[in-house]
Amino acid sequence: MSAVNTASSFIENAPPGELTEVINDIGSLLDDLSISDKLAPAVEKYNKEQFVTTKLPGGSALVIVSEHNDLGGGRFYDSESASSFTYNHKTQKASDVQSYPIEGEHASTVKSLLRDVGNHVKEHFPSLPAYGVYPTDDGIAILIVGNKYSPSNYWNGRWRSTYIFNPSSSTLTGSIAVDVHYYEDGNVRLVTEKAVNESLRSTTSAEVARAIASVEKKYQEELNRAFGALSEGAFKNLRRQLPVTRQKMDWQKASAYKIGQDIGGGGRAR
Amino acid sequence: MADPFDSALDLLRRLNPKHITKNLNALIGLVPDLTEDLLSSVDQPLQIVRCKKTGRDYLLCDYNRDGDSYRSPWSNEFDPPLSDGTVPSEKVRKMEVAANEAFDVYRELYYEGGVSSVYFWNLDDGFAGVVLLKKSSTATSKNQGTWDSIHVFEALDRARTAHYKLTSTVILNMESNEDALGKMDLSGNMTRQIEADLPVEDDSSHIVNIGRLVEDMELKMRNLLQEVYFGKAKDVVNDLRSVNNLTEVNRDRAAHSEVMSSMLRR
Repeated sequence: MSAVNTASSFIENAPPGELTEVINDIGSLLDDLSISDKLAPAVEKYNKEQFVTTKLPGGSALVIVSEHNDLGGGRFYDSESASSFTYNHKTQKASDVQSYPIEGEHASTVKSLLRDVGNHVKEHFPSLPAYGVYPTDDGIAILIVGNKYSPSNYWNGRWRSTYIFNPSSSTLTGSIAVDVHYYEDGNVRLVTEKAVNESLRSTTSAEVARAIASVEKKYQEELNRAFGALSEGAFKNLRRQLPVTRQKMDWQKASAYKIGQDIGGGGRAR
Repeated sequence: MADPFDSALDLLRRLNPKHITKNLNALIGLVPDLTEDLLSSVDQPLQIVRCKKTGRDYLLCDYNRDGDSYRSPWSNEFDPPLSDGTVPSEKVRKMEVAANEAFDVYRELYYEGGVSSVYFWNLDDGFAGVVLLKKSSTATSKNQGTWDSIHVFEALDRARTAHYKLTSTVILNMESNEDALGKMDLSGNMTRQIEADLPVEDDSSHIVNIGRLVEDMELKMRNLLQEVYFGKAKDVVNDLRSVNNLTEVNRDRAAHSEVMSSMLRR
């Protein structure tokens, strides 16, 4: 594996909110001043997969950068503000905003989805929320991301929902992914992924938003239950808190007997 | 510019701990100069092999390795065989044998299965060692985990006491895979250190002292892991997304603080 490939695989594994630190670490390990240019494709891939968010110049809402709103040539679009922009993956800044109205057969659906999905996001994503609705060849992509960064307390987290709404088959498919990193005196990572495959009762934007809310609620409750199941199941099975006797081990007895046996000539006196 | 070794450790603290062995090997490939330093300071999940002489399982780590061979704590022999492999002095080996038997009892009491191995080595002013414990569990076919404990210590001779320095790492990897849940992976490692001066009457005192230090440390770490894995990680998930509508949550919060402040005014 070449150095660039190895370093690129590290970037793909960067925890939420820690890409800069990972790139800096790689930079100090490699004696190659041009490494950041060579890693640019990996950084771009990471940003698009992780739905990196940014504010447009003069804007206050966070907008998403992903493959679903990629216009090519380093430009992306945001349907809410009907604008396109250049995103610099290295500086993580947006610039050169231009008007980009959504047109075509899905224009009105996109508009009503933005309203209904937007309301859903406001009600359930308290920290650094962003969402986007983008017409694609496979259907209408609906992305939701929520991040919470607390590096001073050594943890960061990200929730990503990806849905493809297909009006002609009345389906909502995609996935929900959660990534949490805790790194105080250690390194603990939660990585989850759940596939979504729902049939819709209608193709109204209200129904799509309802299905999203229902799928996410069900998943979050399932995940909360799973923490308890792992704690009570696999974790308990690995190591007891105390021996069955509810007493700590008698080391005096264990060592006196053994050392006596080994050092005192090996005779089994008892 | 940052020290490369520190950067390597920082990187390993950030990348997914589930893939620690893969990441460590990739890092060594990237910076071969750091090979020895990284292998001796980064803990990886332990491997189990069977002692050819005694038929008992033991654990492999950097501390019972000599070249490409590993020493069995049960037979004191290297596999593949080495004529000049590094072994502890006779006195320290006797303590090592006793420690292996004592921690075998400890393993059964707390882990009810798994594998344990203890390796000692001589120091100029005392001795050092590592206590290893490993257990895998399949509570249900869809819910499984692995626990690796790595306790490295030094016991430095003082007058009628010894100064103990213990560094403990637990690697805990867990996963759950069910239809309603999808894939859930909760993996990682945590490290803690402690130092203590404890009375020593004879060699068996060391086994008692080290035993109690490790036992107390594991109890502390088990509680810590429980808190981080099943408390903190879960809290962060619920900080990312609120199950309840935030409008309601905020209204309840406002009502609550209203009640609190009216109570305080009384």
